[in-house]
Amino acid sequence: MTKPKLLPTPNDPEKALAAVVALRRTADQLERKAVRQAVSQGWSWSEIAEALGVTKQAAHKKHAASLKKTKK
Amino acid sequence: MFNRIKLRLNEMKTINQLIPGADAQANALGEETAGAEHYVLAALELEEGSAKRVFAALNINAENYRDAINKQYDQALDAVGIDAETVSIEPVTSKKLLPVSHPSGRQLMKSLHALKKNDKDRPLLGAHVLAVAAEIKHGVVARAFKELNIEPSDLKNAIQHELKAHQ
Repeated sequence: MTKPKLLPTPNDPEKALAAVVALRRTADQLERKAVRQAVSQGWSWSEIAEALGVTKQAAHKKHAASLKKTKK
Repeated sequence: MFNRIKLRLNEMKTINQLIPGADAQANALGEETAGAEHYVLAALELEEGSAKRVFAALNINAENYRDAINKQYDQALDAVGIDAETVSIEPVTSKKLLPVSHPSGRQLMKSLHALKKNDKDRPLLGAHVLAVAAEIKHGVVARAFKELNIEPSDLKNAIQHELKAHQ
């Protein structure tokens, strides 16, 4: 279980912004891996888009090409 | 005149290595687009070796810098209660036909262009890329140098020393 911590205070912008950048990078990685897994489990692009809270076109545009390259 | 054309051709060749090089560094570190820190790593790969010599003068190398990039991410995640060991970063398979840079990478290239405008008698060198990176006060580039205990003034001195050798 991950230890609970308080988010860095915005009063320390250097630390808070570093956390934002690291979280964004981690979220991008998690999104790529989860979409790849969803596709391999037979999810449609509509379902993936719905789960991500984006349009089908946006989800497809962001992930479809890299998934094709990974498969090759 | 001939020398200027030669320098310009050399500059184009270096940029043609730098941009895809930064893109490859970003992808290897699990990112889709190249930020300023990936341009630093790409500069260290350039054959002319000036960036590598600047780093050597400071007793660091590309591997140390790459580790420092990862470490500053780990520390930032730790600050929000995420154990970095639970986050596995995989290399990205790039889908782009042409490399697209992160805003920090684009800003670095813009600053590099401005710097070279005032330094027309030397070829474009990896040390120039470091000179631009050394001016960045915040973000991954600066945090990675800080992680390595590299003072901006020491970095700038080592860059100037290297650039003087190319006059």
